[in-house]
Amino acid sequence: RDVAKRARMSSAASSATRAGSLNGRPGRSCIPIGPHVVLKMIKHYQEEGQGTEVVQGVLLGLVVEDRLEITNCFPFPQHTEDDADFDEVQYQMEMMRSLRHVNIDHLHVGWYQSTYYGSFVSRALLDSQFSYQHAIEESVVLIYDPIKTAQGSLSLKAYRLTPKLMEICKEKDFSAEGLKKAMIGFEHMFEEVPIVIKNSHLINVLMWELEEKSTVADKHELLNLSSSNHLEKSLQLLMDRVDDMSQDIVKYNTYSRNLSKQQQQKHQYTQRRQQENAQRQTRGEPPLPEEDISKMFKPPQPPPRMDTLLIAGQINNYCQNVKEFTSQNLGKLFLAEALQGHNS
Amino acid sequence: MSRFFATGSDSESEESSSADEITPKAPGTTFTKQSLLLSDDEEDTKRVVRSAKDKRFEELTNLIKTIRNAMKIRDMSKCLEEFEQLCRAFLKSKTIVDKEGVPPFYIRILADLEDYLNQLWEDKEGKKKMNKNNAKALSTLRQKIRKYNRDYETEIASYKENPMASADEEEEKDEVESGSSSDSDDEPADAKSFLKKKSATEAPPPNASKFLKGAADEESSSSDGDNEDWDSDTSESDSGSEDETGRSTSMAVNFLKKTSSEGDRHTSEKKKEERKKRHKRKERIEEEAEEEAQEEGEGEWEKVKGGVPLVKEKLKMFAKGTEINTTVVVKKLNEILQARGKKGTDRAAQIELLHALANISNENNLGEGILVKIKFNIIASLYDYNPNLAAFMKADMWKKCLDCIDELLDILFNNDKIFIGENIAEDSENLASDSQEYRVRGCILTLVERMDEEFTKIMQNTDPHSQEYVDNLKDEGRVCGIIDRLMAYLEMETKGSTEEVCRVYLRRIMHTYYKFDYKAHRRALGLQGETKSEQDAEESEGEDSAFIMDRLCKYIYAKDRTDRIRTCAILCHIYHHALHSRWYQARDLMLMSHLQDNIQHADPPVQILYNRTMVQLGICAFRQGMIKDAHNALLDIQSSGRAKELLGQGLLMRNMQERNAEQEKIEKRRQVPFHMHINLELLECVYLVSAMLLEIPYMAAHEFDARRRMISKQFHHQLRVGERQPLLGPPESMREHVVAASKAMKMGDWRTCHSFIINEKMNSKVWDLFPETQCVREMLVRKIQEESLRTYLFTYSSVYDSISMETLKEMFELELPTVHSIISKMIINEELMASLDQPTQTVVMHRTEPTSLQNMALQLAEKLGGLVENNERVFDLKQGVYGGYFNRDQKGGYQQKQGGYNRDQRGSYQQKQGGYNRDGQRGGYQQKQGGYNRDGGGYQRQGGYNRDGGGYQQRQGGYNRDGNRGGGGGYQGQNRGGYQGGGGYQGGGGYQGGGGGGYRGGYKGGYQNQDRRDY
Repeated sequence: RDVAKRARMSSAASSATRAGSLNGRPGRSCIPIGPHVVLKMIKHYQEEGQGTEVVQGVLLGLVVEDRLEITNCFPFPQHTEDDADFDEVQYQMEMMRSLRHVNIDHLHVGWYQSTYYGSFVSRALLDSQFSYQHAIEESVVLIYDPIKTAQGSLSLKAYRLTPKLMEICKEKDFSAEGLKKAMIGFEHMFEEVPIVIKNSHLINVLMWELEEKSTVADKHELLNLSSSNHLEKSLQLLMDRVDDMSQDIVKYNTYSRNLSKQQQQKHQYTQRRQQENAQRQTRGEPPLPEEDISKMFKPPQPPPRMDTLLIAGQINNYCQNVKEFTSQNLGKLFLAEALQGHNS
Repeated sequence: MSRFFATGSDSESEESSSADEITPKAPGTTFTKQSLLLSDDEEDTKRVVRSAKDKRFEELTNLIKTIRNAMKIRDMSKCLEEFEQLCRAFLKSKTIVDKEGVPPFYIRILADLEDYLNQLWEDKEGKKKMNKNNAKALSTLRQKIRKYNRDYETEIASYKENPMASADEEEEKDEVESGSSSDSDDEPADAKSFLKKKSATEAPPPNASKFLKGAADEESSSSDGDNEDWDSDTSESDSGSEDETGRSTSMAVNFLKKTSSEGDRHTSEKKKEERKKRHKRKERIEEEAEEEAQEEGEGEWEKVKGGVPLVKEKLKMFAKGTEINTTVVVKKLNEILQARGKKGTDRAAQIELLHALANISNENNLGEGILVKIKFNIIASLYDYNPNLAAFMKADMWKKCLDCIDELLDILFNNDKIFIGENIAEDSENLASDSQEYRVRGCILTLVERMDEEFTKIMQNTDPHSQEYVDNLKDEGRVCGIIDRLMAYLEMETKGSTEEVCRVYLRRIMHTYYKFDYKAHRRALGLQGETKSEQDAEESEGEDSAFIMDRLCKYIYAKDRTDRIRTCAILCHIYHHALHSRWYQARDLMLMSHLQDNIQHADPPVQILYNRTMVQLGICAFRQGMIKDAHNALLDIQSSGRAKELLGQGLLMRNMQERNAEQEKIEKRRQVPFHMHINLELLECVYLVSAMLLEIPYMAAHEFDARRRMISKQFHHQLRVGERQPLLGPPESMREHVVAASKAMKMGDWRTCHSFIINEKMNSKVWDLFPETQCVREMLVRKIQEESLRTYLFTYSSVYDSISMETLKEMFELELPTVHSIISKMIINEELMASLDQPTQTVVMHRTEPTSLQNMALQLAEKLGGLVENNERVFDLKQGVYGGYFNRDQKGGYQQKQGGYNRDQRGSYQQKQGGYNRDGQRGGYQQKQGGYNRDGGGYQRQGGYNRDGGGYQQRQGGYNRDGNRGGGGGYQGQNRGGYQGGGGYQGGGGYQGGGGGGYRGGYKGGYQNQDRRDY
């Protein structure tokens, strides 16, 4: 029943999503998603995901012309410590073969993952999405936010890595210079692909009918005002990220300081050497042999910047979330105020 | 009877010669080598002498005997071994030899051995037959003896020339040398030489005995002992010949003699001989053999005479008829004492001997002086009984020791003419004369101290849960009694120096400080003694231990010059105060003593005492309701998790790498006996409960404070352990109870908290252990109510707009004034943003406390500030690379900027300043204190000065600490002043906090020193 209710909500929300995303950025056309993919994902999380734990699964679909369609999905089974030798790939293959037997689209087009307060921008996600995208060019990752969904608006987003990021990942050059050369910032790491949930007409009819029957209270979950908890959590997470960021910056700071100090030394050394050589020349002695300066001054290990970038991306994400959330809430508050004023 | 006796004491010679001519000899014959032990008195005489030199000679003769045996069986390796021993033994007796000359028997063995070896050496055939070891030993021995004999060439030559004559000569020479009057021995010498011709090699024992005799019998003048000598000599030679069958020329004679004298006993004697031989072989320790011999001798005596015990006892020591006077006894005593500490001395026998000696001197009325001296030595040898420092006295020894000391004290009390002291030289002693005062060397205090230590040792080594322990503990009364008597003795004029008095006082204190004085307690409560007259009560119950402690300690404070005794006395005094709930005295004394500063330099036992005192102080504070003080006092002991070890109440199981067996032994010796233990569960419970009472409100007040610090790590640890439990049953252990109570308190539910802290289980486990159980429980309930109220207000104030004090009063079952005062205090301390509405008796919340979301936002802002700063530094650096070096000014500029930013932040939410104070001026501890005095440090500092009236340097630490805080505190204070408006009011608060703070700081400073301490 719960799932059914969710479905109703999601379909209600889907129209909004569609409208928003269609007007969104140009480029890749939006991805139609089958409703039962969404339902399956929600069910999966409902059954297995708890708290900060995330659930993941495989998306199946097909490519029509230049458009990707997601028509099915199945979850990754949950791991336990006991069956460490469980073969995931084997399982996936098995699963896909079985699906093919019943004539379901079995083309691997990506994967999905649930998220906890929008904290999904991580190294793990980057790596796995990279490998997906590397193998199957069209693949996307669907991020499902169960908490937001529970608050009344289905949150489902599809992401791909930008081509620039793909290149960097391919080269595995995460140094500051490399990133600078690639001109990549946290904004350009992921690109969101618009999605659309495509229902059959029959389902649409059912929806309408259900909407008729549902009580008013069910529909107005959207208007819930008590939001501080959500905001608090977001802030907490945001704070943690900021802490991480600070640390990274400090690390980078020390690095660059060390680097500059070393450069200074190097400079001094060469100058001294030059002076000495000049003196020797005046005395008619042969100049000192050139030594390999790079050997004498080993440059300090530059800290990898990818993590920082990811953190920045995550912070950005949180900020977006908070912004979105607060703006919505402000609207609600104004609404409530107006209502109160009207009533009194 | 015996030869010695006869020659030695002229007075009794007649009797002995006529009557006991044969009888004593009979047993004598049985003792082959120790023919000197023939009869009781002879043995005694011998024994006396032996302590000087006979013992050495005995040893030598023993060895010689073995060598001869080995020679007979051609066991060269054995020979070699024994010879080496012989040389060593001879070296040892060098002093005696120097005095007495080289004993002839020694020369004889040397000569014989050399001859023997040469003979063997020549015997090529025989040599070939020898096994390897023996052959090797033979050659070594031969070389050795050659070398060795070079030193004695003349003697050996003379011996070889005429073995018997030389022996005689030597003997005579010895006698002359030893200063004995030689006239007495003219005849015997002849007789002896006769005998010796028969048993030439057998001379050693008789010779030795001659020596002894010579030394012992200074006044020997009579020649009555001829027969005696004859007899004994024959018997000796007899015994010798029995050993050495090779030279049995005299055998027949001996046997004849014997049969003629004692035909009927012959067989039995033989048996005895055999037994004796066996015995001898078994036990080299001459002492014991002697003992046996003595017994057997007695046996003989009884058989023959049906002897009288009294006489017998007397005879053990001295020859019959010896005039027993002081000099003799002293000499005897010295002889006994010389054996002391030597290897192979039978300590039990020595004690027996000393006892006997004491009896003798008693019987002969030799005066108290000598008796005292003997007693001293008895006690000393009782202590000596255990060679090992770790071993403890056996019960019977212990009893004996107590008795002895008691008797000694009796004597000393009865006789004030006796003067004892450890500084009296041995030769300036005056034991005899009655006219002057006796002067005896010895220190009774040392003996008593040692006794006390032994007592501790006994208690340490007894299983504390056995009846035995209780029995042993009963002796404590006696120990105390002895110490008391000694105290009384030393307190008398001229008897003890101040130093000694201090020492004995300390002993007394050590036996007093840990005992709760129930009588005084009852008297204080007025339960008893009302009906009786004051005088009666005083007399029957004695003075309060508090009074005693006070008197003794003050004497020590004034007179003692060694730091250690004073330190111990102070600690004990504090302990005693604390034990009897005199908290302020205890605390003041602790602060005045400055012990916290330098206790880490003290030796471990003192440190253990210090720890015990600290713990007791903490428990006392708890009983008095000074929760914070209790917590502070207990913190160091408890936080280490090694309370057991720190209090010397048991060793923690640790791996052996950290502590080897030696260390473990030492540590074991430091343990406090069980009856002095402080209950560790009680200790922990007190600590945890006080931590709970402090921590729970603090936690509630600082729920959203990112920087809050723990007051008690241990308590938090327990909470975490409680949380980790998958299933939460009803609490079982004390800790679980406290954790459960803490949880209830967090909710402000004081009733549940109360029921968890005070219930039957906890009563029996903890609370009933206090003397004033009821008071403590009442105090606890009250504290729980108060702290629960505070917690409740902290936790739920955001829910209320206003709350009636009446409601609070009902909720927490407190009186209205109390509620009022608690709330006022909270408002003053800015812990609660509210005001009191007097007419309606309600608390009106100001609602200025930021919500958690606001808190969070603030924190985020803070962090972002840091981030920005860091980020700009990166930028800085970039500029620096181009524009030269690191630019400090710029950095400073940043920080200024930063500061401004922060100040802005603070401006908007002043009340949370403590939490977001970035400058970190407050150290860890201050932060903790912040829970109570969140108001500005400036005020607190002032308060500290104001309150600091007494000369307690300790408090200085308090405001030094505050001084550190000065910067931050002053600034904060200003800001707040503006905000709060009521400056004067706040001042009051500051004063209050400061008073506590100053003191607390001081306390803390001291306690913290402890942390670094190992023990």
